[in-house]
Amino acid sequence: MASSSYSNPPCAACKFLRRKCLPSCTFAPYFPPEEPTKFANVHKIFGASNVSKLLNEIPPHQREDAVNSLAYEAEARLKDPVYGCVGAISVLQRQVLHLQKELDATNADLMLYASNDVSHSYPVLSNPTFMRINTQYNGGESNPRYASPWNNGSLDENSNNANGSM
Amino acid sequence: MTLKGGTGQACAACKYQRRRCASDCPLAPFFPADQPKMFQNAHKLFGVSNILKILKQLDPSQKVIAMKSIKYQANMRDKYPVYGCLVEIQQLSYQIQMAEEELQAILAQLAYYRQRHQQQEISSASDSLSQLQLGMGPPGNALTLLHQDNPTYDVMTALPIVPHATYSNHGNPGYNTEYLEAKENNVVDSLWIQQPYSNSNNDNNSMVMQSQLSMAQPLSVQQETAQDYDEIYPFFDTIDDRQSYIDSKEVYESSSESSLKDTRQSVEQLAENELKSVAACFSLTSVN
Repeated sequence: MASSSYSNPPCAACKFLRRKCLPSCTFAPYFPPEEPTKFANVHKIFGASNVSKLLNEIPPHQREDAVNSLAYEAEARLKDPVYGCVGAISVLQRQVLHLQKELDATNADLMLYASNDVSHSYPVLSNPTFMRINTQYNGGESNPRYASPWNNGSLDENSNNANGSM
Repeated sequence: MTLKGGTGQACAACKYQRRRCASDCPLAPFFPADQPKMFQNAHKLFGVSNILKILKQLDPSQKVIAMKSIKYQANMRDKYPVYGCLVEIQQLSYQIQMAEEELQAILAQLAYYRQRHQQQEISSASDSLSQLQLGMGPPGNALTLLHQDNPTYDVMTALPIVPHATYSNHGNPGYNTEYLEAKENNVVDSLWIQQPYSNSNNDNNSMVMQSQLSMAQPLSVQQETAQDYDEIYPFFDTIDDRQSYIDSKEVYESSSESSLKDTRQSVEQLAENELKSVAACFSLTSVN
C-alpha cells in the first residue's frame, strides 16, 4: 500500500479495501480513518459497491446523513441478524401502543372528575392540542401514519395505506 | 431469457438475475415473481450475496422473520434514500415524547381534580362538624371555643402536613408513584384532622399555635397551597380571631408590665369579637 508522505492518510474504506485513497475517493469524507469499524460494518452488510451506488444517487449535502443511517442499520443488523433495526421500530411501536392505552385510561378518569366539577372547568380540557395528539395515533393497529411490518403493513409501491401486505 | 425451474415460474430474484430458478432456490419463497420491485429494492441495498450470507447463519424459522425485516428495510430505503428506517424511528420517538408529555399533563390535571375532590369532602365534613359545635353550646360560652380541644385546632396541627402532600411538583419519573403519594398523603391529612389536640404540646397552647402559624407562612409560598388554604379549611376565618387573640397574648407575654386587669379586658374584647363572628355565621345581618 503506497502512500505519499505528503498526501492525506487513507480513509477507513480504502484502508480496509487495501487500495490507494485518491483525492476523489467517494468514501473519504464520510469514513475517517479513526473509525474503522464504521466502514467494516457497512461493507459487511451492504457491500462497498452498493454503498457507492447509493451515495452517487444522493445530493452531496445529504450524503453524510445517508452514511450515518447506513452505519446505524448495519450495526443493528450485526447485533441482531434476524430483526436488525426493525427490532427497534417494533419496540417503539409497542411503546406507542402502551402509551396510547395509558392515555385513554387516564383521559377517562379525567373526564369523570371534570364532569363532576362543572363550576371550575379546567381550560386545558378544551385545548385542541390534546385532541390533535389523541387523534394522531388513535389506536396502534389502525395507525395510518406508518406501516408495521408485523401487522401486514407494507411500504411497497402497490400499497398507499398502512394495511398492505408485505 | 429466464429458465424456469421445475413446474413453477421463476422467482423474482432469479428472473432479475436471468438464471435458472432451482427448486431449492433459497430466495424463491420470499420474492414471488409478481413482486419484482421488492426484490429490486432488496438487491439494491443489500445485494444477493449479502442476503444469502445473512440467511445462512439463521434457522429456518428465523429466516422468514429476517427476510421480512430485510424487505421492510429495503423498501424504507427506497422510499427514503437518505435516512431509510431512521425516518420511522424518529417519527415514533417523537410520538412517544409527545404522548409522554401529554400523559404528564393529564396526570397533573387528574391530581388537581382528585385533590379538589378530597378537599371538598374534607370541607363538607368539617362544615357539618363546625355546625354541630356551634349549635351545641350557648353563645355565652364563646370562650370555651377558644380553649377547648376541638378539631379546629387540629386544622392548625394539620398545616405542617401540607408540604408532605404532592402539592409541590415532584421530579418523579414514574407516574404511578406520584399518584400513590397524593393518595397516601390525603389519607394522612384526614387522620390528622381526626386526632385530638392533646397530642401536641399542652404547656403553652398559644405559643404552639403561633409556631405552627409561622410554619404555615413559608408554605404559602408554594404555588398551590396558598390557594387551597381557604378551600381546605373554610373555617380559617374563625382562626383569624384566634390569630388576633394570639397576637394580643404575645404582646402580653413580651411586655414587661402585665396585669390581670389588662388580660381580662383583652379577653373580654376578644370574646365579644368571637360572639359577633358566631352571630354573623347564623344571621344574614352584618355585624360591626
